[in-house]
Amino acid sequence: MNEMMIETRNLTKKYKGTRAVDALNLAIPRGEIYGFLGPNGAGKTTTIRMLLGLIRPSSGVVQIFGQDLKRDRIKILRRVGSLVEYPSYYGHLNAVENLETIRRILNVPKTRIDEVLHTVGLTKDAKRHVKGYSLGMKQRLGIAAALLGSPELLILDEPTNGLDPSGILEIRELIKKMPQEQGITVLVSSHLLSEIEQMASSVGIVNQGKMIFQDSISNLQRKAGSEIHIALSDAEAAMITVREQGCFARLDQGKLIFKGIDDGQIARLVSALVDARHSIYRVEERRKSLEDLFLTMTSGASGSASEIAAIGSGAPRGAGLRKEVAQ
Amino acid sequence: MIGKLLSTDLLKMRRTGIWWVVFIGPVGLAAMQALNFGLRYDYLVQDRYASDPWAGLIGETGMFVPIAIYLAMTLLMAMIANIENRQNAWKQTLALPVRRSQVFASKFLACLIQLLVACVLLAASVAIVGLVLKFEGPVPIIDLLTLGAYPMLASLPMLGLMLWMTLTLRNQAIPISLGIAASLVSVFGASMPEIVPLAWPAVVLANGEAALRYSGFGIALFAVLYLLGSIHFSRKDVA
Repeated sequence: MNEMMIETRNLTKKYKGTRAVDALNLAIPRGEIYGFLGPNGAGKTTTIRMLLGLIRPSSGVVQIFGQDLKRDRIKILRRVGSLVEYPSYYGHLNAVENLETIRRILNVPKTRIDEVLHTVGLTKDAKRHVKGYSLGMKQRLGIAAALLGSPELLILDEPTNGLDPSGILEIRELIKKMPQEQGITVLVSSHLLSEIEQMASSVGIVNQGKMIFQDSISNLQRKAGSEIHIALSDAEAAMITVREQGCFARLDQGKLIFKGIDDGQIARLVSALVDARHSIYRVEERRKSLEDLFLTMTSGASGSASEIAAIGSGAPRGAGLRKEVAQ
Repeated sequence: MIGKLLSTDLLKMRRTGIWWVVFIGPVGLAAMQALNFGLRYDYLVQDRYASDPWAGLIGETGMFVPIAIYLAMTLLMAMIANIENRQNAWKQTLALPVRRSQVFASKFLACLIQLLVACVLLAASVAIVGLVLKFEGPVPIIDLLTLGAYPMLASLPMLGLMLWMTLTLRNQAIPISLGIAASLVSVFGASMPEIVPLAWPAVVLANGEAALRYSGFGIALFAVLYLLGSIHFSRKDVA
């Protein structure tokens, strides 16, 4: 579990003075689906291109499978499948021919083409020219191409970009199956938190080229926290009952709001309130949405660096995962 | 690895019409001369080139060979590069376990093969024109083959430049305009000083003894441009 598939140290890319990627430290353990999250223009694609050797880092080190990318690029890329941004394809060729151009270089048996086409569900359209494909089909062809060489590491940049809901669902299910069925580690980037939340097991949030959070998804969710809202007949009087039970509530529009209490406490509270002749209308759990958390983390990183640091240091550390906090 | 790359490059060219360019160029040149000699048979074959009609045919064709080669190099390289540029397939191709220098070499070899095929087609189709017009004497096979091959070698610097520009520039309008401009200027190659590379294919055709020397110059200048292009291609960031 502790073996790192991808590790970067102080990875930086400068474009004419601005830092598109700034001292980024990625750590992706084997067997994870790592969600690489950030708003548009945060440096996700630039980072992924550096991981694939498509662009050169201005400084810093990329290690994949524990090997230095600069030195062993070809050996590493043989074990990596990738899909960068919108799909690359040759429109005048059909799906089989498209995959054949890659198969000849990877030197895998011809049967792999049928296998990967089956995996992404394109067997029926295999003989059609790719320029006639829908975006979703092109995207699936791109994933088939990435899977062709039976990679150990799959790097997918915005694989669900521009797809309709059913296409998104298909791709998501496909990605979720990879670590279980084939032991593939997946790095998937997105600017949609909900997307990452539904498939990733760990997450890295990047903004303005800097890593502002890196931990397991459950720790991210825990950090978002939940509140218990109790709506009842006389909230102000109920506050006293609550205090007698040793709990502290916030009063908001005739509702009592509790933070960080466990099931036992809730049960005791409710029975105490009932004994005190309060009419309880509703007891509900409200999650602070991850979207809110994400927005707080990513909005105006320059103006509120300290706030981000505060968020970052609040959560418990995840096993085997390093957490990065903006300085 | 270079063999595998070349075979994928040839596969990618299916249905792109590249081979039509290779075919139509030389056959078109020969067809033009078939018209020229067919219409003016009495003057050209029985009067002006009566002593050696084959040499006459080759000479007349040769006038159009430099521009045809320059145009072919521009067009073929633009089409080859377009395969990768159009859907931005570079990021896929170069994220495969391949050396960039070999990808570059493979594109060059693909174009060179097409140019050589065109040279052979030119020799064959001009020979057919001569045979149909019932020229006397044996078919001058060597002269026919070198009709395309020497000017092609002398024009190689253009291929080096095209290779470099089409494979590294986003904006294909620049290499294409440059290639077409060079093709047009090359028509006046015979009246240019011999130091100008654009004049070399014309020099090679006009002066048989200088053919090898100027082909050599062509290869040498090409080698420099190829190397610069290959280094640039290997180091550049792929967007």
